[in-house]
Amino acid sequence: MKEFLLNIDRRIIFIFVALGVIIPALTSFNLPINPTPNVQSIYDTIEEVGAKNGTILISFDYGPGSFPEVQPMALAVLRHCFKRNVKVVGMCLWPQAVGLAQQALDTASKELDAEYGSDYVFLGFKTGFHSLVINMGHDFHGTFPQDSPGNNTTELPVTQNIKGLADFDYVLCLAAGNTPDGIWIPYGQERYKFKFGLGCTAVMAPDQFPYLQSGQMNGMMGGLAGAAEYETLVQASGTATEGMRPQSVVHLIIIAFIILGNVMYFLYGRQKGGAQ
Amino acid sequence: MSRDQIFFIVFLFIFATINIYLFGSGSLSADWSGLGTFIAAGITLSLYSFLYKDNPLFKFAENLYVGVAAAYTITQVWYNVLWVDVVDPLSELGSDESLGNLWLIVPTLLGFFMLTQLSSAKFSWLSRIAFAFVVGLGAGLAIPRTIAANLLAQIQPTMGPITADLAGFNLFIILVGVVTVLVYFFYSVEHTGPVGVASKIGIWFLMISFGASFGYTIMARLSLLIGRVGFLLEDWLVLPLPLF
Repeated sequence: MKEFLLNIDRRIIFIFVALGVIIPALTSFNLPINPTPNVQSIYDTIEEVGAKNGTILISFDYGPGSFPEVQPMALAVLRHCFKRNVKVVGMCLWPQAVGLAQQALDTASKELDAEYGSDYVFLGFKTGFHSLVINMGHDFHGTFPQDSPGNNTTELPVTQNIKGLADFDYVLCLAAGNTPDGIWIPYGQERYKFKFGLGCTAVMAPDQFPYLQSGQMNGMMGGLAGAAEYETLVQASGTATEGMRPQSVVHLIIIAFIILGNVMYFLYGRQKGGAQ
Repeated sequence: MSRDQIFFIVFLFIFATINIYLFGSGSLSADWSGLGTFIAAGITLSLYSFLYKDNPLFKFAENLYVGVAAAYTITQVWYNVLWVDVVDPLSELGSDESLGNLWLIVPTLLGFFMLTQLSSAKFSWLSRIAFAFVVGLGAGLAIPRTIAANLLAQIQPTMGPITADLAGFNLFIILVGVVTVLVYFFYSVEHTGPVGVASKIGIWFLMISFGASFGYTIMARLSLLIGRVGFLLEDWLVLPLPLF
């Protein structure tokens, strides 16, 4: 038994994790979700933008690999924007995000009767990363002369008065890579001084906290928990809120394994020069 | 027959049986949508089969993903960038109004120069011109902006006044963390005495930061698993969740 506990087969841990995900997914129990100040800040900013019928830019910078974490954020934010009459301009720095962004915009706009052109516009993907953001900063229509379906951006009600990035009341980046700290902050926010928020995968979140402290970002949603907090704020329970049950159970399982591993190591492992 | 081969055959049999039942009962519609769900479920299970061990199903799904992602990216770049920004404007060069687009020939040529790297040595030197342009532009843009956004803008709040409240306490911890981690990475002085103590505190800050990153990483990976399990239970097996 001692040997078994000192060298648990990783596949046994996988089985525990799988059960920890499947069983809570099949059952119904609710855990409290309390929005953190960083998520609340994004919500409050969108409320402010809504109060003055403003426009926000959402950059969809993620792919199918981070769909379960970031797509619920996109849906929750879009629902919030359309409810509060915030005009939305969507764009992608990642080519893989185009289909996902389109899906989120279609879903939210159908639910809340948002009209293309007057309530939201989708610009699609454009390459260039930093040069694209710099160009958008001083010549929005020159950078995106047409939207994704081929309409002139100078003629669409949502985009016709946008001359540069500073004309957006808020810029929100939904990211799974280095676009916030590698592109949007250095080449966009620092240069054109617009209000900037972030929704990102949990892996990225720890590296983004310094930008909150420096004020370069005013809010952040990190991972599935961040998405669930936003869903709570907009009172629209979705896949993120549902995912919090298995997430919490598996976290407890992993903590239990970490404690077990350390206890076994300190009791027996060190005597043998470490677990094998 | 080895144990792994038996597992492989049993897995395929169970997967086929479930799908025959789902299509037969009408739970999965016999159209492109149902076919898409069936393929997505198969690929998901194939990829997770790696948790048992490496196998042909995993390899197939992995390579399929790489191929599909590459093809999707190429189509997006072609229709959203090359067609709209290069082919379309250049094809209209004959008209008087489009003379302003003449400058597009320069970046287009540079783009073609990049491709010469794939050719023989006779032409591949042309790619150096394009790369020189990209490196020069990249460095010129990146250096000032990175210093401004990632260094100066970060130093400023770290050096703020430490007040006698919670915010001040947070700032004090950040200040201690920054200084001690910098001391840890300062190798020109031997880490003994006060420098050694500061260096050890720096190690603790680093360890806590690694722990936080690892915790967030676990959360991220679990979120992906939860998303896939949700897809398998709700979209593929069409279970009305929650069951209990």
